Amino acid sequence: MQPILKIDLTTGKTEEYVIPQEWERDFLGGASLAARILYSSLTKELDPLSPESPLLFMNGPLSGTAGPTTGRFVVCGKSPATGLWAESNAGGFWGPELRGTGYDGLWITGKAESPVYLWLNEGRLEVRDGAGVWGKDIYQTQDFVKEEIGVKGAHVAVIGQAGERGVLYASIACDHGRMAGRTGLGAVMGAKKLKAIAVHGTKKIPLVHADRYAALRSEANRALKQDNEAKILHELGTAGGANYMEYMGQMPSKYYHQGSFSNVDNVSGAKMAETILTGQSACHACVIACGRVVKLDDGAKRKGPEYETVAGFGPNLLVDNLEEVVRLGELCDRYGMDVISTANTIGLAFHLFEMGKVTVQDTGGLELKWGGFMAARQLVHQIARREGIGEVMSKGSRQFGRAFGAEDEAVQVNGLETAYHDPRGVSGMALSYATSPRGACHNQSDYFFADWGHTYEKIGITYFERHAQAEKAANVAKHQNWRTFFNAAVMCIFANVDPQMQVDLVNAACGLKWSLDDMMKSGERGWNLKRAINNRMGLTRANDKLPKVFLEPYKEGGAAGFVPDLPAMLDAYYDARGWDKESGKPSREKLVELGLGDVAEELWGEG
Amino acid sequence: MTAVFPSEEWLKELETKLNTDKKYGDIAKNWEGDIFIIIEPKGNLTEGLTFYLDLWHGACRKVEFKPDASSRPTPTFTLTANYDDIKDIMTGKLNPMTAMMTMKLKVKGNMGYMMRNVPTVLDFVRCAQEVTKEIL
Repeated sequence: MQPILKIDLTTGKTEEYVIPQEWERDFLGGASLAARILYSSLTKELDPLSPESPLLFMNGPLSGTAGPTTGRFVVCGKSPATGLWAESNAGGFWGPELRGTGYDGLWITGKAESPVYLWLNEGRLEVRDGAGVWGKDIYQTQDFVKEEIGVKGAHVAVIGQAGERGVLYASIACDHGRMAGRTGLGAVMGAKKLKAIAVHGTKKIPLVHADRYAALRSEANRALKQDNEAKILHELGTAGGANYMEYMGQMPSKYYHQGSFSNVDNVSGAKMAETILTGQSACHACVIACGRVVKLDDGAKRKGPEYETVAGFGPNLLVDNLEEVVRLGELCDRYGMDVISTANTIGLAFHLFEMGKVTVQDTGGLELKWGGFMAARQLVHQIARREGIGEVMSKGSRQFGRAFGAEDEAVQVNGLETAYHDPRGVSGMALSYATSPRGACHNQSDYFFADWGHTYEKIGITYFERHAQAEKAANVAKHQNWRTFFNAAVMCIFANVDPQMQVDLVNAACGLKWSLDDMMKSGERGWNLKRAINNRMGLTRANDKLPKVFLEPYKEGGAAGFVPDLPAMLDAYYDARGWDKESGKPSREKLVELGLGDVAEELWGEG
Repeated sequence: MTAVFPSEEWLKELETKLNTDKKYGDIAKNWEGDIFIIIEPKGNLTEGLTFYLDLWHGACRKVEFKPDASSRPTPTFTLTANYDDIKDIMTGKLNPMTAMMTMKLKVKGNMGYMMRNVPTVLDFVRCAQEVTKEIL
């Protein structure tokens, strides 16, 4: 990996940080390597919105290499939403462009006196006045910065107004609506008065065995293009599975209180393809092209919704109007807000309104009735502007629920709103949500695919029935390790690439001689390090929990009658992980086995 | 006498099953599409084999054993797998979703239609499994 550029926005000083080789070997890159680098600075006392709070943009060793789905970058730090480890990755072209500058990361601390943006051109950094762009949305900001720097081919990572105003689920965006949406790192960027980071670089991307890599990547991309899942994603987008998810009770409706939604097809990926779809969009060198381009009745082409947008603003609110779902998703994107958290928090508002806990007095006269997309639109505006009830909603569903005496009603884990994959339909998601290092996340382990039947025999990920309980716990842990490897390589989880090919690609790129076991061990090391970071910040076993509603069975639909047995699943999971059941910490032995002796000493004292 | 999979007799039994199974009839009531199945030689199957099934509104209108691909140029779906993997699906050792997601079963056709009708496809496999008592 290339060096990281450290930038202190308070002093304007920069410094080149060379990544220790042994850390690269053990953690590979991306989120795992970021966890190692930031380990000592992520303390319980650290205010995520303070100048001291770090924001680390990282590539992986395959970023920008035109390997299968390797066009991504990740942003890491401490989450203002959860107070825990934060990571969020995005596609587009920004990460590959950063590589071309000669840096594989930007490590930003401090706080500018007034709004600024960064311009990193071929390794030369300028801190530029951002007053003229402050207040603009994510698309306007990219256009403004690109015009001002005047260099063709530059890409810009930005925040919208939500990040400026400290919405705790503000995102960081680039290109055409590619979002690092989760954990609120857009608010961290906004707190630093940093509106955008433009990058442009033409340096050759380092590959140890370039010829070997080129042959492998061609083979991998050819196979990926023929893959069934890739074909579905290309033709239908990520919402292509909506009908099946609804059938199984995986897709929640009415804020996780209704197990089926008969109008699901009105908002499905298939319907989108038949009606408003005009084309696909792809991240850097991706052969899948899952991005949607749609046209609405105003004639303008725009980004079409992904599955989470469809589910969150569709069945979650009992909305079956696809065009309105598109508009709601676009509004969130423009403000720079995570659609999962926004739609979830709005769903809670509708739910509390139905319960009588939120009234028209609280909403300024707004009736929050199921199916009310116009009300949802008003709430998006209010959240982004932190106006009216939007002020408390901008803090996320946990704090919003708490403010109305209904924290238990919020469907979140540790302050991060759950994605739209209900563990009553696919039980593995119970452990995915309860144990993820960043709250209720579906990307640290998209185990629902394994619950559908997506196995990886070569790395020991086998099939368990979708309503199996504790017996699948070890399988979930393996899946998490596998995805932690992905998040270190900073690859898209839609790359259905054979694990042996994955390790061959890494070996060719990095000059390593990893086996499949080494790859999985690296993932396990990253997972445990993130856990240890969270333990230091106060996380215990008590945090490994599920929202109340997931422990209440649906009366209807494909998941009717089922609830996950979380205590039994967690016990089996802790056994599989080698974690201490009392404290929730990785055991000393496990940490030492993974080469994390210094972390073991800090968590457990000198042995 | 029980038909051995894969054989013309087995295919006829499957046709009968699809036309008499109430559960399949309900789940597949909106299905409109024909399927061309290509079984590639492997293990006990030394020569490739093809099946054709015309499935319509919960019933099977027609089957053909060993049709030539050129005789059915535009089926709604073409499913391709090697014999060992097909055998594992028929005997329940291989989950059909697993087969599809791991590319042991290759699917060509309208993916939107497929994703809207996954339950129908899975119940079709159930029917095929239930008529498979003996296997090559």
